[in-house]
Amino acid sequence: MTLNAWIPVFALMTSLIASLVIFALPEKGYRLRTAVNLVAALLKLGLVVVMVRGVFLGVDYGVSFTMVPGVTFVLKADAFSMMFAGLSAVLWLLTTIYAVGYLEDSPNRSRFFGFFSLCVASTMGIALAGNLFTFFLFYEMLTLSTYPLVVHRGTETALKAGRTYLIYTLTGGAVLLLAIAWLHGVAGDLPFREGGHFIDADPDIHRSLILIFMLLVAGLGVKAAIFPLHGWLPQAMVAPAPVSALLHAVAVVKAGAFGIVRVVYDIYGVEASSALGLLEPLSWLAAFTILYASVRALRQVDLKRRLAFSTVSQVSYIILGVSIFGPVAAVGGLVHLLHQGIMKITLFFCAGNYAETLGIHRIDEMDGAGRRMPGTSVAFTIGAFGMIGAPPLAGFITKWTMGSGSLAVNMDWVVVVLVFSSLLNAAYFLPVLYRLWFREAGVTWPHERHWGRLETSAWLYWPPLLTAAMTVMVGVLASLPFSPLSWAELIMLREYAP
Amino acid sequence: MTLWLMAGLLFTPLAWAVLTLLTDFTRGRLVTWGGILVQVLVSLGLWLVVSRDGGFYYALGGWQAPLGIELRVDGLAVTFVLLTAVVASACGFHAGVYIDPDKPWHRYFWPLFWFLWSGLNAVWLGGDLFNLYVGLELISLSAVGLVALGGKAGALRASLRYLLAALLGSLAYLLGVALIYGQFGTLSIAGIVFWLEEHPVPAGSSLALALMVAGLALKTALFPLHRWLPPAHGIAKSPVSALLSALVVKASFYIAARLWLELGEPLGNLAAAQLVGLLGSAAVVWGSWLACRQMELKQVVAYSSVAQIGYLFLLFPLTYSVSESVSLQAQQGITLQVISHALAKAAMFLAAGNLVLSTGSRRVDALTGVSRFLPFSLFSFALAGVSLMSLPPSGGFAAKWLLLQASLGSGQWWWVLVLLVGGLLSAVYVFRICRASFLESPETNQFYHPHRSLEIIPMILALLSLGLGLVSAEVLSVMALPFEEEGSP
Amino acid sequence: MMLPGSVLVLVAVCLPLLYPAMALHAGWVRAMRYVLPVLPLPALLLALGSEPGWQLEMPWLLNGGLWAMDELRRLFLLLTAVLWLVAGIYAVGYLTSHHLRRFCVFWGLTLAGNLGLTVAVDIGSFYSFFALMTFAGYGLVVHEGTNEAIRAGRVYLVMAVLGEMAILMGLLLASAAAGSQMLADLPEGIAASPRRDLIMALLIAGFGVKAGLPLLHFWLPLAHPVAPTPASAVLSGAMIKAGLLGWLVTLPFGEAALPGWGALMIVAGAVGAIGAAVVGVCQQRPKAVLAYSSISQMGLMVLMVGVALADSGRAPVLFPVIALYALHHGLAKGSLFLSAGMSLPAGAIPRAGAWILIALPGLSLAGLPFTSGALAKLAMKEGLLENRLELALASYLSPLMAAGVVATLLLVLRYLWILAGKLEIGDNPPMLVAGWLTAIGVSLVAFWWMPWDVGGLVESPVWLPAPYQLWALLWPMLIASGLALLTVLASWLVKQR
Repeated sequence: MTLNAWIPVFALMTSLIASLVIFALPEKGYRLRTAVNLVAALLKLGLVVVMVRGVFLGVDYGVSFTMVPGVTFVLKADAFSMMFAGLSAVLWLLTTIYAVGYLEDSPNRSRFFGFFSLCVASTMGIALAGNLFTFFLFYEMLTLSTYPLVVHRGTETALKAGRTYLIYTLTGGAVLLLAIAWLHGVAGDLPFREGGHFIDADPDIHRSLILIFMLLVAGLGVKAAIFPLHGWLPQAMVAPAPVSALLHAVAVVKAGAFGIVRVVYDIYGVEASSALGLLEPLSWLAAFTILYASVRALRQVDLKRRLAFSTVSQVSYIILGVSIFGPVAAVGGLVHLLHQGIMKITLFFCAGNYAETLGIHRIDEMDGAGRRMPGTSVAFTIGAFGMIGAPPLAGFITKWTMGSGSLAVNMDWVVVVLVFSSLLNAAYFLPVLYRLWFREAGVTWPHERHWGRLETSAWLYWPPLLTAAMTVMVGVLASLPFSPLSWAELIMLREYAP
Repeated sequence: MTLWLMAGLLFTPLAWAVLTLLTDFTRGRLVTWGGILVQVLVSLGLWLVVSRDGGFYYALGGWQAPLGIELRVDGLAVTFVLLTAVVASACGFHAGVYIDPDKPWHRYFWPLFWFLWSGLNAVWLGGDLFNLYVGLELISLSAVGLVALGGKAGALRASLRYLLAALLGSLAYLLGVALIYGQFGTLSIAGIVFWLEEHPVPAGSSLALALMVAGLALKTALFPLHRWLPPAHGIAKSPVSALLSALVVKASFYIAARLWLELGEPLGNLAAAQLVGLLGSAAVVWGSWLACRQMELKQVVAYSSVAQIGYLFLLFPLTYSVSESVSLQAQQGITLQVISHALAKAAMFLAAGNLVLSTGSRRVDALTGVSRFLPFSLFSFALAGVSLMSLPPSGGFAAKWLLLQASLGSGQWWWVLVLLVGGLLSAVYVFRICRASFLESPETNQFYHPHRSLEIIPMILALLSLGLGLVSAEVLSVMALPFEEEGSP
Repeated sequence: MMLPGSVLVLVAVCLPLLYPAMALHAGWVRAMRYVLPVLPLPALLLALGSEPGWQLEMPWLLNGGLWAMDELRRLFLLLTAVLWLVAGIYAVGYLTSHHLRRFCVFWGLTLAGNLGLTVAVDIGSFYSFFALMTFAGYGLVVHEGTNEAIRAGRVYLVMAVLGEMAILMGLLLASAAAGSQMLADLPEGIAASPRRDLIMALLIAGFGVKAGLPLLHFWLPLAHPVAPTPASAVLSGAMIKAGLLGWLVTLPFGEAALPGWGALMIVAGAVGAIGAAVVGVCQQRPKAVLAYSSISQMGLMVLMVGVALADSGRAPVLFPVIALYALHHGLAKGSLFLSAGMSLPAGAIPRAGAWILIALPGLSLAGLPFTSGALAKLAMKEGLLENRLELALASYLSPLMAAGVVATLLLVLRYLWILAGKLEIGDNPPMLVAGWLTAIGVSLVAFWWMPWDVGGLVESPVWLPAPYQLWALLWPMLIASGLALLTVLASWLVKQR
């Protein structure tokens, strides 16, 4: 095999090896651990950049071997996988930086970073998986490697949240496995392929295909937190902030959404999905989730829980986008995969900063925090406005593209959903911003720490600002080549004209 | 070459057994460690020979069946031989450190260990029913002895119970063997198959098969005949538990499976196949459920064995009157399940032993906070758990995948539910342990730290069972090797 | 000429946009105050110095960015730049140290939005700047932090968000109908779209929130009085016009006659012009009166928009008039607002002079001859001549305009009346006076040199209105003065008893 074939494997291995090394390091090896983390993250980013360029030029990256008789293990880089891989590579770097600062002086750091890298490896595997079987492999690996992070604090609440998380995800995994095995029985080993496999499917298997699709969505919907399978996500917010940030805003929920996109586009094929009548119910489900979770978010008093419900709502944008049969709307959905990740991670970083620097967890404690922590608060504001869909930020590009796309295929109700969702987003984010900037702070903060010159530790300070800057950049520069929007357009071009 | 390998495989263990019988524990350990090296090399050699040249019949000492000992050296058998070598040597090394050399009766550990090993090899390679019986008895008796090594009253009670069950099982099996001999005039399985090809099925031979399978099921602890297993496996020393759960129960199942695959089609019937499958399913559900409710760590693992063994019996319905490919998938699945469970369960028992050693208590709730002090053993435990939960990329997952395919392919979708529910239930008991150990509590920070090598061995086994899934196609390819003299004598 | 325009516009927009970054450096915060007047200067230069017609293509921006300049946009840019300039000068003297950094940040952002939206030609950047202005404007409204300000801010924000959403939906539908991301293509697309009425309703309502359309105006009288005075000035003078500009660049003027929508807008304008006056004269606070006056004045512009909608042939003629009127009103209203924050000089003669300066922009609003108001009013009158229009409501327009003038003057008088009771004698910071004087100066004098072309509606020179025009300008003012006099008399009589 050529070097190209191995690049995806290397990309996977960087974090896997980092994880093993970190497990082996002693708890006190702070510098070495940080160095290993950062070097691995940079290396991975470099590999992803190489692959992005290669995929754009049409280079074939991939490796496959027969794992179980009849099934192959396939790692492959296509345009869509690079989107997810790029997201996780960039955000892994930032989150690692953040986590180093966040977990300063807390126990069990080796364990934390080990599993953290393992999660990233799983995410990478999900991104690069070339068929459903391989996807499932990493999907479950992600479940397992996240659990120790959710229960990291070892408190009763954390363990309870961990249990809920497992009940949801493992059950979802079992359903997914059933669906994949069934599909395998019906149609054999199907690689992900633009245009899907079932355009001219035998009418005899239509019923099975529909049932399998429902099972697949149910299984993947747990991680994607589609209503009514979202219950684990708000509870999982007891995890340390970097975990909430990377995993529950980006990796885990996106894994579910990514899987659904894969199923719709690269297994069934969007035309076949539409012909089988699968897309419309999916779009209703997604639309309902968007609105329902936003309403729930309104009522949360804990900042991270509010963000969690917001995640539930926002992830369904992706589902909504792909369940509209039209390339433009789908671009909107796909691009949200990145946009939502960047925006939500910003918000979670900031929430972590408030918690770590000032001891703030509840929204009503945030009065006047903008003055004490302007950098963090600016980042939070940008993230929140991005979520609302205010132009020219990332969220606006999503909404605009998705709105135009749904109008183009005469699904006007989608626009109404988008606008309502924006209103609800505004309703639950603007009061927070108001408290941040326009309320006078109380006499003391619940638990304040000082870090010299900056408002907080430098490790915590820069990541949210960087992601906030990215939120602005991906919006403002949406039409540049290699911007998320252009990349999503490239994916759709290949999907609709395979 | 082959002669040396076969002899090395079957007789040197006996020699080691006698040798260790003559010395004390510490010297026995040295002998054993040397012996393990030889055994592993021999097993590996045989595996290489077979995977290069294909399988063959081997008549020990040149005597042909039906008089002599006929050995059937096929891919599956050598795979299990290799598996035994891996697991047994791991347990041997572990036991050498784990078992307290000062207790006088512990010196009998090594001979029993070696008898067990040779019995196992005899079963894997055995080609006729009587020799299989001999191997089986060798295994049972040494296993009972090993359980009794626990020393305390509870261990003796458990081992007696075990002995009773084993004898009953042997009796049933022997009865079946006698009936078979009466009807077919041969004890060689291949011979019976050959006979059946030319003659109509004689009446009553189904009973013989049923008796043999029932006896073996008792020895394998199939639900509802499982009651003897948890006390015996739970109370034995951890390396012993590991050996018992990983290998011993597999031996009786291996015989049952071979009987079924060769004779099931002519002698069995659909109802019986479904019944065995149903009992297996009940074992999966009931065993897992009980595992979730146990208060002691090793009991959890022991009940998990009951559940995991249940899966194996799905072989019966999934190979009876189904298409060739489905049957093949089922066989491959079960084979993988045997291997991965052996590796995982051994790892789990050894790790559990470390945890017990470290906390000084056998109870699950004593694990509070142990994740900070013994992450390595806990990690091995959890990795083994991954295989038991049949989550990817473990061997358990590959097994489950194949079984799922077989169930769906044969239209027996009800086993799908068993497979999925079983997986979830096993997650419940595995994560129950994890949960207990992740709990942070201020008062517990006194833990004994076991020797490093004790921690590494279960990790290796767990990693093997985890990695098995990735190479399962290669492992199974040995099974499909050509076999000389197909259908004879 | 093309290059300087396109370069200058980048500077003009980016300067206020990046200005808030100064707040990051603690040492620069004190300097931020003095930078305020500098911010709109490049924009002013752009409006005055560059010929319309240049465009700046930025294909990488959003969905493809295009900024350009035409006559209409130039007038709006001019208004915006001038008003923010004078308000900025004024603010230097006005501001206290209370949350100064925050105020400056929001000032810069609002300004950037307001400037940007006048030059943006593609939907994405137009809407971006519009939203930036809206949301940053909130910071100016609630700056004082009083309960009243916070309440007003909440109303402002709720209505603004609703408005933004209506705009978003309208623009989305319009863009889909036109199949284009450029504002210039929207009118045609909307006119041809089957969803025409929905789109128009959304856009009219969405921009109407900013423009103070009756029933969507609630935030205006709440927000303008509570904001700091320089902020009120720009809110009422410039930002309110952004809504108007929104209409002008999106609605399908000249594409098809829309008598229904036209009539609706005319009625809404009339209700706004008269109704706001009725409510406004009952107000007790000077800036509240001015806020209602703004609604009233916007009513007149809405009326013209309505006519332009109804009579597709007349739209090209009316556009410059609307722009001119907006310019005039913005400057005059800005000056009036700035007066509200002044203290009077001590001596009798300076005080009388101050009063004259305070009153003049007000009278200009009412159309006092030789002021910008006269020009605007005459142009409007010419534009709305009954015999040139083809619509049912044409005959009502003339009386409506007269009533509008009466309403305007009544409100101005009311404002002056209340102000007389409120203004105290004292010293003003020099920058405050400078800003105020510049405002009045620009509103009264500089207006005449400003570049505008009213499509030949008003004959040049316009210094001296023809006698018949004089009368037309004066009689409504006389009626208003009479009414005011009567009221004063009546209240005096009531007090006597």
